[in-house]
Amino acid sequence: MERENRFWRVILLALPLAVFAAFVIWPLADSFHYSFTNWNGFNPDFDYVGFDNFLKIHSDKLFLNAAINTALWIVAAIVVPTGLGLGLALLIDSRIPGGSVFKSIFYLPICLSAVVVGQIWVWIYQPDWGLLNTVVEAVSGESFNYAWLAKPDSALWSVILAWSWQQTGLSMVIFLAGLTTIPEELLEVCEIEGARALQRIRLVVIPLLTPATVVVIALNVINSLKGFDILYTMTGGGPFNSSDTLAMHMYNESFKKYLMGYGSAISVVLFLIALTIVRLYFRQLRKVDELHG
Amino acid sequence: MITLNRRGALAALAVAPALLLGAPAFAQGGDVTLTHYFTGEFGLKLFNEQVAKFEADTGHTIKNSPIGHEDFKTDILVRAAGDSLPDVFSYWAGARTQFVVDAGSLHPIDDMWARDGLDSVVAKSVADSATMYNGKRYLVPFNYHYAGMFYNTQVLADAGVSEMPTDWDGFMALCETLKAAGVTPIALGSKYRWPAQFWFDYLLLNTAGPDYRAALMDGSAAYDDAEVKAAMAMWRELADKGYFAPNANADTWTDASDKVARGDAAMTLMGTWITGYWNGLGLEPGKDYDFFPFPSIADGLPGSVVGPVDGLVVSNDGENRAGAEAFLSYMMSSADVQASWTSGYGALSANVNVDPANYNEVMQRVSTVVAGADVFAFNYDLATPPPVAEVGLSMFSRFMDDPSQVDDILAQAAADAAQAFTE
Repeated sequence: MERENRFWRVILLALPLAVFAAFVIWPLADSFHYSFTNWNGFNPDFDYVGFDNFLKIHSDKLFLNAAINTALWIVAAIVVPTGLGLGLALLIDSRIPGGSVFKSIFYLPICLSAVVVGQIWVWIYQPDWGLLNTVVEAVSGESFNYAWLAKPDSALWSVILAWSWQQTGLSMVIFLAGLTTIPEELLEVCEIEGARALQRIRLVVIPLLTPATVVVIALNVINSLKGFDILYTMTGGGPFNSSDTLAMHMYNESFKKYLMGYGSAISVVLFLIALTIVRLYFRQLRKVDELHG
Repeated sequence: MITLNRRGALAALAVAPALLLGAPAFAQGGDVTLTHYFTGEFGLKLFNEQVAKFEADTGHTIKNSPIGHEDFKTDILVRAAGDSLPDVFSYWAGARTQFVVDAGSLHPIDDMWARDGLDSVVAKSVADSATMYNGKRYLVPFNYHYAGMFYNTQVLADAGVSEMPTDWDGFMALCETLKAAGVTPIALGSKYRWPAQFWFDYLLLNTAGPDYRAALMDGSAAYDDAEVKAAMAMWRELADKGYFAPNANADTWTDASDKVARGDAAMTLMGTWITGYWNGLGLEPGKDYDFFPFPSIADGLPGSVVGPVDGLVVSNDGENRAGAEAFLSYMMSSADVQASWTSGYGALSANVNVDPANYNEVMQRVSTVVAGADVFAFNYDLATPPPVAEVGLSMFSRFMDDPSQVDDILAQAAADAAQAFTE
């Protein structure tokens, strides 16, 4: 019987494993392979160039720019949607009137595709008639047509804000789930002992939300590394590469400059960064499990 | 009741992938697969009508996969990388086609060209410049365009302008007149970068000449040469005087066209596809809009016009080569297809049998200007290899953001282009 079960387990796992191998493992291995070539994407003939593509990364100013932007995005991903998600979760958990309605509204953006979210924010940022500049004009009483997505100083941050808007709902829901695990009695005891609301949040709620916070931060960081589609929709990495991330730089090098070998090398570096983050995440998760059972 | 034993399950697993792999082959049959970028404002409905004529007249069936203009540039590369190019695809003549030919992805069409007598159909000047690569013919010029200064007739009339400029001083005076009348003289939508290239093309061609420009395009001249600096200085003067509408990098070419159509700006330097776009909005050629050629600048240089040629090519690994060649031949040879496509799309036909009377009055004059030019030059991103074009397109966009940085921008472009030419 056990042998029969094992057989069916293998059979039933075979198909998803085959799909995973075909669409994840194989392309991944191919990227590693092509990162050692000068393949241009069209030509079936290419040469092996050893570590040249990886050495080129060191002198590539656009790579450095993209790496800095990626790091900024990661930091923003840790701070903005995590902070906003926590704040919203605490507000909704405090049983304000219409809390469940607000919960649905704040969660809604995560149900939208990143392309749709990107397009909505392109309209919001539109310099001549977009919502943001219209509001600024109404408040200041002066003409204002700043092109948020077309200026190198603001393009990346404008995209990060739009991405955070979408991501906040997910953080909020995870924090809300975490809040349900905090015993009511504990908070009541704190209140009886004279702890004010902010003290209860800072000294009791936030420490007890550590498992949820680890999950939220990890998801936000991983999603920030995947934040290609919204960036592509909103700026395409522009103007003149100012909002490039590593994923966008890889895309530009591979598909616009036809340097598929070099683009593959960038993708390998990006993969190693993501792998490091995921390993750190699992290590942290293990520690949290040990602490919180 | 159906039961599945272990042997059956293993057999099913073994057969399933084979069925999946075989499915596309059964589906394809005698169809001709086609991918093109004639979508949205670039004439999808009209193109489909021409495809339907081919199907009706020849009995072939087209499996049509249109891709958005910007996404097409990536998509075709992805398909090439995956050895899944369609039988036929649209492509831009010039450096981009050269790149694909060098990669061995295209099938030469010399035999079809000779068999179907295309020498007597395609205008020789276009055939010579757009269809031959490495000594063989690879592309039929489905249509071609011309970039000119398209303007809102009412706006210019309201500003008291009745005569269009033919030289640089006249052009600067026109801009000043418009600005004094409270109108933004020039709209430019360089969000996707390429619309800015026409300024660079014309300024360089009309100050340094086509030979120097060809040298810059093939890497034997540099972006920090005096010739390029001189052309950019003229562009900068326009920007510094406030002749461009603000936030060019925030607008697409259609945004800029809309500004001109609405009268928020007076003119825009754009390809003739703008006429198809404006006609679709209900504007009347000659009445609501018109054009004038980019003004000449330096004396003694050949008269140059700039534009792209939209071609159709046959891929090397397509499954229905005969059908693909039949499609190319038909779409090029049929005067009916060429006339209705180019007149509706806002393009020019390279088919000598197309009566110019099919064009609207603006396009008829465009046709005359192009015919009278000494040089037809491919626009920038079709004239230089794609990796270098990326450098230049970013340079234009950076320049439009802050023209005062022009020296730094050119020095950077010179270094980046030199690097790109070695890759």
